[in-house]
Order: sequence, then C-alpha cells, then structure tokens
Amino acid sequence: MNLVIRAVLYTGRKWKKTLLLFCLLLTITTLVLSGLAIADAQEKQTEEVRGTTGASFTVERDLSTGGWTSGYSTQRFMTEDMIQKIAATDGIAGYDATLITLPRFFNSKREPLVIETNFSCYCYGSYNSQYHELFLSGRFELVEGTHITDDLTNGAIISRQLADQNGLKIGDTVTGIYYPENNTPAVDMEIIGIFDIVADKGDQINMYDDASYYDYSNYIFCSMKASEDMLKGWGEDSDGISEAYFYVTDAAQLDNVIRKVQGISSIEWDNFKITANNEVYQNISGALTDTSSLITTLIALITAVSMVLIILILSMSIRGRKHEIGILLAVGIAKPAVIFQYALETFLIAIVAFPLAYLASQQAAGTLGTLLGKTVENVIVTSQHFTLVAVAGSILLAAAVLVSCIPIMRLKPKTILSQME
Amino acid sequence: MSLWKRACLYSIRKKGKTITLLAFLLVMATMMLTCLSIQSATETANANIKKALLGYFTINAKHLESGIPEDAVSSILAINSLSGRYTLRSYSHANYYDADGKPLEINTEGAAQVPEGYENAGKIVANSNSQEDSYFTDGGFVLTGGSAVTAGSRNEVLIHEKFAQHNGLAVGDTMLLGNVSENAHTIPVTVAGIFTNTKEQDSIGIAPSYDLYDNIVFTDLSTASFLLYGDGTASSQYGDFYVNDPDDLDRIMTEVQRLPGMDWESCTLTRYDNDYQNAKESLEGLRNIVFIAIAVVSVICFLVLALFLTLRLRGRVHETGVYLAMGISKGSVLLQYLLEVILAAAIALLLSYGVSSAISNQIGSRLLSQVTTETYEAVDLTGNAESGGGPAGDLGLSEIIVAVSAKDYLTVWAFGMVLCTASTALAAYPVMKMKPKSILTQMS
Repeated sequence: MNLVIRAVLYTGRKWKKTLLLFCLLLTITTLVLSGLAIADAQEKQTEEVRGTTGASFTVERDLSTGGWTSGYSTQRFMTEDMIQKIAATDGIAGYDATLITLPRFFNSKREPLVIETNFSCYCYGSYNSQYHELFLSGRFELVEGTHITDDLTNGAIISRQLADQNGLKIGDTVTGIYYPENNTPAVDMEIIGIFDIVADKGDQINMYDDASYYDYSNYIFCSMKASEDMLKGWGEDSDGISEAYFYVTDAAQLDNVIRKVQGISSIEWDNFKITANNEVYQNISGALTDTSSLITTLIALITAVSMVLIILILSMSIRGRKHEIGILLAVGIAKPAVIFQYALETFLIAIVAFPLAYLASQQAAGTLGTLLGKTVENVIVTSQHFTLVAVAGSILLAAAVLVSCIPIMRLKPKTILSQME
Repeated sequence: MSLWKRACLYSIRKKGKTITLLAFLLVMATMMLTCLSIQSATETANANIKKALLGYFTINAKHLESGIPEDAVSSILAINSLSGRYTLRSYSHANYYDADGKPLEINTEGAAQVPEGYENAGKIVANSNSQEDSYFTDGGFVLTGGSAVTAGSRNEVLIHEKFAQHNGLAVGDTMLLGNVSENAHTIPVTVAGIFTNTKEQDSIGIAPSYDLYDNIVFTDLSTASFLLYGDGTASSQYGDFYVNDPDDLDRIMTEVQRLPGMDWESCTLTRYDNDYQNAKESLEGLRNIVFIAIAVVSVICFLVLALFLTLRLRGRVHETGVYLAMGISKGSVLLQYLLEVILAAAIALLLSYGVSSAISNQIGSRLLSQVTTETYEAVDLTGNAESGGGPAGDLGLSEIIVAVSAKDYLTVWAFGMVLCTASTALAAYPVMKMKPKSILTQMS
C-alpha cells in the first residue's frame, strides 16, 4: 500500500484522535498568531503613547553669533521658507512659531475693545495655534470654533472674557493696529475661535517674561500673515520670527529628526540653534520600555512554550503507536517510509489547522476584548504573521515527528512486538 | 490491589508517559505563573508611567493672611496617594542693604519705571528648591557659583552675577533684606550662590525695576515668610503637590479642601495634569493589550490542557476494558486515573514555583539593566543642538518586581487541580459508558 494512502486511511479511521490533534494544533497556532499580533499591537500602542508626550525641538536665532546693536541682536530672523522646509521633514507632526505684537484692537464700528488692566493686547502671530505652548500645556483650552492653521491669512482666536466684554462672537471681524502713530496698517481679522482660561493667572510662577505683564484675557492668537501685516511699514527688519517649535510624531525618534533637520543644507545653521525638549518622554520612557519589554517577553514565552507543547504532544501521540510501528516494520516497510507516513499524517492535520487558526486568531483578541469590556483595536493578525507561523510550524512539526520516532526506530521489529503494551 | 497502589505503579511503570505528562503540566503551570507575574509587573509599570506624567495641583493662598502654614502642608501630605513630591513657593519684594545697613544699588537700566519706595528693592522668589523654580527651569537662569537654596536652607540667598559685581558681593558674604513697607523690619542673609541669565530678558521696557533679572533675589521659604508674614515660621503662598495617579486628582483636591484650619474659600486650587490627559487614552490602550494577552493565554492554556488530558486517556481504552473485566468498579478506575494526573500535577505545580520564580527573576533583572543603560545613554547630537531636560531625575518610581505572588500561586493551584479533574472525568466518560466486552473487542 502506498504510504500516502496509508496516511490518509489512518487519519480517517482514527478520526477522534485526529480531531484531538487537530484541536490542539489549532489552539496552539491560534495562541502563537494572537501573540505575534499582540506584540505588534503593543509596539504600535507604545509608539502612540510616545506620540502623546509632546516631544519637540525649538529652532531659534543663535544670539551668540549674530552681533548686537544698541541692545538688540542683529542676528537674522527665521524665514517662512525655512520653517516650511523644516516642517516638511519626515516625522514631524506639527509646528508653530510666534511673532509677538502688542496691537490695539477695534470692533467693526472702529471703537477700541474694552480690555482688562493693560493698554494693548498681547498678540501671538501663529501658524498652527493648536501647537502653541499655552494650548498644549492646557493653560488655555479652545472651547468654540477652530484653531488657526497655516492656510489662514486673517483668523483670530480670543478669550471668552474678551468676547463677553465686547459682545463678540465667532465670525465677527476685529481690526488690529500696532503703532497708529507710525502709520502701520489696520489689519482686519475674523474671529474663528474662543478659548477659556484654565490656568490660574494669579499664580506668580509665570512672571519671568513680558507676556506675564498682560492679563490672560488680553491674549489674542492671530494668523502669522495678519501679524506680519500689522508690522508693515514700521519694522519688518527689527521684528520677526525668532523661535519656531516642531513637534515630532514619535518621541523616540526626536534625535533622528533633529539630525535630519540639521542636514537641510539650504539653512545656515550658524545663525540658528536647536534645542530638544522631551522631558515628559524622558520621565516615562523607563516605565514605558519596561512595559513593552514585559509584553515582548510574555509573547516570547508563549511562543517557546507552544513549541515545547507541540513536541510533547506529537511525541506522545507517536509513543502510543509503538506496536503499529513494529507491525509496519515487520511487513517490510522501510523506516523512512514509516516516518514519512507519520509526518504526512501530521501535515494533513496541520494543513487544515493552520488556515483555521489564522481565521480564529483574527477573531480571538477582538471577541475576548468585547466579552471582557475592553477595546483593542490594534491587534491585527497579518499575512506575514501567518506565513511565519506556517513555515516555522511546519519545520517544527517535521522535526518533532522525526525526534519522537528515533527511540522506536532504533529497535528491531521483534523487540518492539515482544514488548508488553 | 488498592487503587492508590495501582496509580503509583502505573506512574512508575510507564516512566516515559509519566514524564511527558509531568513535563506538560510543568510547562503549563510555569507559563501561567509567569504570565501572572508579568501581568502584575506591567501594572506597576503602568502606575509608574502615570506617576511620571506628574499630575499635580497648585494651591494659591496668596490672599490668605498667613499663607499655607507648615502644619497644613504636612496634613495635606498625609492624604492618601500623594506622591510626596511637592514644591512650596512665595514671592515678595525686599529692600537690599549691605551688612552695615547701607542700601545696595540695583540696576535700573531698561526698567519701565522705578516705583517709589523700590529704589533699592527687588523681587524675592522663594522656592523649596531654587533649581526647580520656573526662572531656572524655563527662564534660562543658571547657577554660576555657590549652591542652590533648598528646603533645608535658612537665611540664604542667590543673587545675580551683575548685582554681585556691582555691589562687591561674593558667596559667603552677608547682606540684609528689608520689608518694603516697614523699613525697620530686616533680616540678615548669607549669599549662598550667584546666578546669571542665559536668555535675554524680553520684558525690558515693560517691566518695573524690581522685576529686572539683575535685581531678583532667590531665598528660602522661612526668609520669605519673615518678609511676608513677619514671623519665624516657614509659611508659603503657593504649594504644588504631585500625585501618584492623576485620576485621583479630583478626589484629593476635594479632600484637601475639607482639611480644617484653612480658609479654603480664599484659596484657588488648580489642577495640572495635561500630560496625563494627553496620554490617557493611549495608555489605556496599552493596558488593554496586556490584559488581552493574559486573557488569550489563559483561555488557550485551559483548552490545550483539557485536550491533552483527553488525548492521553484515549490511549488507555484497552486498559480500561481490562480493569472493568477484572471487576474493578468504574468509579475506582476513574479515581485511579484522576490520582495519576493529580499526583503528576502536584509535583509539577511544586516544581513550577521554583522554575517560574527563576524565569521571573531573569525577566526582572533584564528590565532593571535596561532602565539603567537607557538613563546613562548620552544624547549624542552632533552640531549645535542641545539636549533639553537631560536624564530624568528621581521621580520616586516604584521598582518593578517580577515575582510569583502567593495569591497567583494559589490561583494556579486551584485552577490547575479543577481543570485536571474536570478534563480527566470528561475524557473518561465515553470510555466508561461502554461495556468491557465492547471495549475489549474494539481494535486498538
């Protein structure tokens, strides 16, 4: 009888045993596949956590190389072109820069806005206000409308208090004038957002810069273009963007991104310096790395254990067929043919079990998650995982059959058959 | 022959099978135990992350007559789940005199105005650790000589380089700080350190003279308390208190406001947990992944164990038939099988404690070494980039211990035994249903 026929017949005849082996292979393969998917998901999730730490770098004018005149640095300012070039670097999630002006604001009837304490407003020209330090740190919170983005030319975000005091709402137009006595132009801006002040302005901790002399309610964020326009005719040369902030998608890649940025040849890096800021990431990176190495270890453990289990199970199943091997050898079937038959039987099971495990593992994590009330989105079994498991699994199965057969194969058929079962 | 004896004899006679079973059970138990210890370790790691995100709340007691007294600080710190890390701050103004009571000169160049009565005065900043003050952390101040003012300092000040030069002061010299409103009220202080600013002050022309960087003096809380409240205690105007778990902030802040002895109505409490809020969702996702991993492993472990035991019993159909034919009752045959498995399981579970402890140890030591190598890994940035922050300071994070806890061990014992019994009984059921005759006539 052909060994292929023998293998098929055995599998069919002993269908209960086959079914058990099949179930075992199926569950173990499902375990390994889910494990691999979980390991990948963990990596993605860790990356996401790193992304939330707001790791950034600041590019600013290097005042030590620029020279000075009458108390002001003559170092050149940053250009929009330069900022855009840096922002286009891979791995940067967002950016902002500030151009500060101290204009007075007027409503559509040209009446000056009623403001707290100060004479003028403190106005940040901004590319993407969502990346402004005051919003990122949670000191301000946008409660209405949208943030300023770099495609806007005349948007403005004002405080809730300023809006209430002056009866302003989203869609209204305000006009900013920086130095009326120097004939700087009046710039119209549309209110696109309103923010709430979360921080405690009464706390003197922030009193180290000029912004601290202005009431939070007098802070206004406007489009960079509007800020530049307000300066026109007065001092484009003596005022410009001196700092820009770039936020990276993955805090762990901050150094690499900075290196890439430093490689942009069209920027004269002698005039600018870069400062990395990843304090939050540094604080949590230890514990985060621990978590991910714990999960990785867990998956490695699962994989190793699964391999051991498969070997144990196959060797047990073959040990139970000692008698049969004796008979097969006695009827003159060659040893390799017997081993090959057993290997074939195993593969017949595996060929069904592996694809089914692929399907099962795709469901396993999601179903368990739903059952236990946890949402897991990133656990996805890919075809690469499957290929890996199928190839490695097949090799393992073949090896396991071979190893389990060796002790029996070394014996003569007579010895085997005279052994008590 | 008693069934005990039979069970023992079988286990010894079929060494190979017993060893396979033992190995299988050992592997399973070890895996479960290690999984559980990893799970509790990730919980610790997660708590560490939450703590390292530094959620805190600030008490602003500026409007209170006597600020936040020391005993209020200690009763706040006694509240559960505060991390113990805190900063106390006070701000004031003072006239500066030399040791003989002669006024010292301040810088007025670049000041918007020199307010009356402040001709020799400057801003006083008191912090429980001057190095953590925002002037140093965000404003670009650096210490150039001497040492910082810390919680243990008494009557010490840090002065600006230019102020020191101008007035011929050096580290170790004595000067006097005087209350701006009542001139008589002075306190002698020692210059403990000299600082300078690395960034230009951007409020030149806006700031009054006392706010100019050159005229700022850092001091300890008790000195500031003397200037502000005129007593010898160390009350402060502001307190920042860090918590272990930012999720507890609301509860803690409510508890703080219930503490007796303070007029909380006049205080402002503000919560700062933005870093945590940003990371919260992703962290939760990470936690879920760990949870799912453990759940998948447990469920599949049970399935595999049950299947394996069934497979093993199926090989003994013939034997069962013989026993039954010999007149041994079905119950005692079943009991014998159970005994064999339980015997092996008991040994495997005992061994697994040692094995999984060893594995856990190994995992734990790898973790610690990873942390240390990472902390000391220098940020190597070529060119003119500077590294901000530097290695994380001591945040008081708990050490992550990967170890098999007694509770986990007991759980695995209980589940293991129940599972072994259940699956053996289940597997034996179809065989037991048959008559000995039909069993023995079955082809093996």
